[in-house]
Amino acid sequence: MALLEVKNITRSFGGLIALRNLSFDVYNLEIVGLIGPNGAGKSTLFNIISGFYRPDRGKVIFRGEQITGLSVDEVARKGIGRIFQEPTLFMQETVFENVFTGFHRHFEQSYLKAFLHTNSANREEKEKKIKVLEILDFMGLLNLKDEIAGNLPHGHQRALAIAIALATGPELLLLDEPVTGMNPSETMQMVDKIKQIRDSGITVLIVEHDMKAVMSLCDRIIVLSLGVKISEGVPDQIRQDTLVIEAYLGKRIA
Amino acid sequence: MAKLQNSPKSDRNRIIAIAVLLIVLVILPILIENDYVKHLLIMACISTVLGMTFSLLFSTGLITLGAGAFYAIGAYVSAILAINYGLSFWIALPLTIIISSIIALILGAIFVKNGGIAFVIISLLFANVVVIATGQSEFLGGWGGIIGIPKPSAIGPIEFTTKTAFYYLALTLLSIIIIIYLALYTSRIGRAWRAIKLSPNLAGTLGINLYRYRLLAFTISSATAATMGSFYAHYFQTITPNAFSGWLSIYIQLYSVLGGLEYYIMGPAIGALIMTFIPEYLRVIKEIEPIVTGVLLLVIILFFPGGILGSFRNRAKNGDSFIGKIGKRLSVYKSWVFKSK
Repeated sequence: MALLEVKNITRSFGGLIALRNLSFDVYNLEIVGLIGPNGAGKSTLFNIISGFYRPDRGKVIFRGEQITGLSVDEVARKGIGRIFQEPTLFMQETVFENVFTGFHRHFEQSYLKAFLHTNSANREEKEKKIKVLEILDFMGLLNLKDEIAGNLPHGHQRALAIAIALATGPELLLLDEPVTGMNPSETMQMVDKIKQIRDSGITVLIVEHDMKAVMSLCDRIIVLSLGVKISEGVPDQIRQDTLVIEAYLGKRIA
Repeated sequence: MAKLQNSPKSDRNRIIAIAVLLIVLVILPILIENDYVKHLLIMACISTVLGMTFSLLFSTGLITLGAGAFYAIGAYVSAILAINYGLSFWIALPLTIIISSIIALILGAIFVKNGGIAFVIISLLFANVVVIATGQSEFLGGWGGIIGIPKPSAIGPIEFTTKTAFYYLALTLLSIIIIIYLALYTSRIGRAWRAIKLSPNLAGTLGINLYRYRLLAFTISSATAATMGSFYAHYFQTITPNAFSGWLSIYIQLYSVLGGLEYYIMGPAIGALIMTFIPEYLRVIKEIEPIVTGVLLLVIILFFPGGILGSFRNRAKNGDSFIGKIGKRLSVYKSWVFKSK
């Protein structure tokens, strides 16, 4: 059974059809790439999966359970983490606090205990703080933990966004353009990190324009153009697919 | 592993600072003989708490222009319980808190649904509706208000006949509320509020339910304001709708903005102290006070958007001037409120 099933999703904005009858599956521990020219509907799809938009038709099924129509926080609690295309962090907070806030849904002590700062609640906070440091270490941000997130350079902000998403303990991670705007060496580091994230047991669905990164990273690629799936397959198939080349470069004349 | 603990030295400094502050506040009425100054201190305690209720909502990204509404509701509920049902203040107060919380929960369920500018407008309208509705209501005494609300009955040897006794009562309420708010801000509840304020979208993807957390903040903030309303009714013994006019909510907002919006406790305290005492000593301008207040609000927003504490902190970053040194000292208080590390 697929981890995530997207079934016949249609969504329009006014007269513009952003997604038309889109279906695909994501299996456990895959890295699936979602590519397509601007306006193909990739971000719309992410917003539908994570609960920001509702589809006009169709459904999203996660671990066999329908999640269409759930609110953003409910989707997050089901185990889907995401990063946004535009830098979305708690900009005025330190790197540490950012990731610490990400642990929100994993606190088990009751609100009353948290409010009263009982020993068990304090102990739990301390345990989570140690985990924050582990995540920061993994994402290479440990020495920046006391920096204000808004002051970080772009590359580190992307890494921090992923660190926050990891703190929520997702089973499926939606990454919206994780390496866009990075230099080649930063990109390769990030590609490595994403592979390690998968190896740690997290399935990844990724939207990205950087073809080199997508091709080296993904097990399988889905190509969207104008809201329709035009191709699906392993990177080598996609590279040679004439439909894909046409969608990106236009038709050869004569 | 990197360190997680605060240095014991800064912890010790904080405890010393709190102790000194408490001692000063406790011996203050002994040093001051003037009853009117004591009255102003009592009002400053009330204003501080009301400012804190504004800041609590602000900490979740909600801006209220009706912070006085539940202050009025608390005062009226408590007055009715005392007069129509003959309850003493000590029973009326907890009942008022419970009743106001229920009202806040029901109204909040509608009010906080849409956040943003919708909440600003709803809160503003609600505060005015409360004033007009009480003014029009025969049961609530109309525009003449309710008179003859009993003073709190004596507990043991403590009788509430002097300003000093009321001052200690106000100070006790203020202290309890500060402790509760600190406990909230430093727990994961406070972190969730802050997350919602800083980025609602990101907070949502972390599994934080915006609506519920904002409703919680609205209810706590309203119940707190109602607590002070109850105290006010039994202290003044007379309440009129006009005491809770729209101006009040504007003033409450000013306490927080003047002191520093990012300082959820120290900000309102400093703002309330200044706004209570300075107009009193500038008697001449009493008639044009609203104008002065309006100009003050404009000046702060235009030139000191961080409020008094905020500008101290900015100076602290920029050098070793006298004000900068004060700022460095004061910056302790910010971490006091927020940092759970």
